Amino acid sequence: MTNAMETIIKTHNLHKIYQETKVPVHALQGVSLEIHKGEFTAIVGPSGSGKSTLLNIIGGLDRPTEGNAWITGEDLSAMKENQLIEFRKNHIGFVFQSYNLIPVLTAYENVEFIMLLQHKSKAERKQRVTSLLDAVGLGDRLDNKPAELSGGQQQRVAVARALASKPTFILADEPTANLDSASTANLLDIMTRLNQEEHMTFVFSTHDQRVIDRARRVITLEDGKIVSDVKKVG
Amino acid sequence: MNSYSQYFTLIPKIAWRNIWRNKGRTFLVIGSVTLGIWSLIFLLGFVRGLINGYIDDAISHQTSHLQLHKPEFLIDKEIQYSIPESAILMSKLTAISQIRAVSARVLVNAMVSTAHGARGLQITGIDPAQESQVTGIADRIVEGSFFNAEAENEIVISRRIADKLKIGLRKKVVVTFQNTDYEITTAAFRVAGIFQSNNKMIDETMAYTRSQDLFALAGLPENSSHEIAVLLNDVDSTDVIHAAITTLAPDLTVRTFREISPDLDLFDSQIRINTLIMTVIIMLALIFGIINTMLMAVLERIRELGMLMAIGMTRIRVFLMIVWETVFVAVIGAPIGMFLGYLTVRSLQKTGIDLSMWAAGLEQFGMSTIVRPQLDLEVYVFISIAIVVTALLASIYPSLKAIRLKPVEALRKI
Repeated sequence: MTNAMETIIKTHNLHKIYQETKVPVHALQGVSLEIHKGEFTAIVGPSGSGKSTLLNIIGGLDRPTEGNAWITGEDLSAMKENQLIEFRKNHIGFVFQSYNLIPVLTAYENVEFIMLLQHKSKAERKQRVTSLLDAVGLGDRLDNKPAELSGGQQQRVAVARALASKPTFILADEPTANLDSASTANLLDIMTRLNQEEHMTFVFSTHDQRVIDRARRVITLEDGKIVSDVKKVG
Repeated sequence: MNSYSQYFTLIPKIAWRNIWRNKGRTFLVIGSVTLGIWSLIFLLGFVRGLINGYIDDAISHQTSHLQLHKPEFLIDKEIQYSIPESAILMSKLTAISQIRAVSARVLVNAMVSTAHGARGLQITGIDPAQESQVTGIADRIVEGSFFNAEAENEIVISRRIADKLKIGLRKKVVVTFQNTDYEITTAAFRVAGIFQSNNKMIDETMAYTRSQDLFALAGLPENSSHEIAVLLNDVDSTDVIHAAITTLAPDLTVRTFREISPDLDLFDSQIRINTLIMTVIIMLALIFGIINTMLMAVLERIRELGMLMAIGMTRIRVFLMIVWETVFVAVIGAPIGMFLGYLTVRSLQKTGIDLSMWAAGLEQFGMSTIVRPQLDLEVYVFISIAIVVTALLASIYPSLKAIRLKPVEALRKI
């Protein structure tokens, strides 16, 4: 068995029912999937298909109404809230649609932040933060705050931040939704390179055809069910 | 860096930067805290000045710091309960370095009459030189003088009594009282001076003569007295000197100004209650303003807080971040307000606040019309603690609001 076949994410019969209105919304209806190390997976589907719900459950941000989700074999539904926070910090790198950097911290400090939460040494932080920001092409913008960076640059800082904690995989919720074509291409180049060179596992939810084109695997959701799961060859 | 040290390094660092994201709002809170603390200090300083003025007045014009009497005199106030050979005791007292001055007094309850009427007064027989050192009565002579050298049977009365008895300077009054043999004795005294204190009670009940003029009349031995008043250099040494004098004169009752005039103690405790009440009121006003501001600060960055919790910031860290932010915005204004308050109190302490507009009312209570605000260091410390407690209390609700957010829901907010 090679590393490439190591299961990173596994879900079994995930159901999620939202009871926000009088009529319950069945956002996920029995989603079972496995994502392996090094996969570059896009979860696609129309609005309301359950993409974000699935990502939230995989990311340990939400709990399923029924079914289970495991990350590297650990059952997320068995974890308490504080354990989940710890787990997210150490295993999952998040990239959000609207960048969501800490506005008062510089690019360097934003990337360093999560390593501070992990109590990494100063030397280790410095080495990793600078190399990550170099890798996303922002080695010269270390001291800029988010407001001083373009949307594309902010999203690249977000990718560097997501990688800083050495996560098991990166979960990106529509990461290119707010980016122009050039920034999208640039971001996808960086993520593809990280995937290919460092075998980093990426899971996206997206509408963006450019992301779908780059993905090695495309899982399509409709009405809370997986309707197709296509792995590209070559 | 361990997890606890981050509570005091990383978290405050972010909190500090966060409060400057909306400078206008932060300055508004700083301004209101500054104003609140300044007004609190001014108010407390003013009241303390008013009461201290009253206490100082009472000490310097009435009670002195300590008084010595025969125990029986305090019960009966009979003329025969005098302290014999006061002079010997006086010389022992003046040898104590903390004692600034002493005055031996002969106290007689007498009827003072003229052709136009009569008044019951307490005649205080004194040595003018000694008395001038102990009370400020000599400085309050508005007409005539505080006794003339060599002259005998002189009396100093108040303006109020002079008006009531319709007499002026150098006029004669007849003083009648009971001597030590319980016989009525009468003598004529000439008005040497007229005083006006700022205390209605003193003005209506007191008159002064030389004690040497009273000894023979009252049948008291020379150098005796009923009361020895002791003025100290420092009010704080009252208790120490009280103990020392009690040892020196074990057969006399030595009382401090607080025992002589319990209302002074009442005022003092009133001030403490007053300080507490005013501080609570101002802090309550501030607390709601701070909560409101911090709540806004939390609600407008729900997404960001959700993101922080999503990427691994624990709830306790988020909670502490908001606590730090609240403490920062609340506490920055405090030293500024305190410094401005201190400067105000200090400068007004020198110049004084003239309340002569309300002089009539204040005189009824024996209060000076010039108030010199002052405030003890302990009040500044108390206010500092109060503002920190206020900030911490104000931080609880917004912080709880922040950590009740669910990351998944917070991230969805626009």
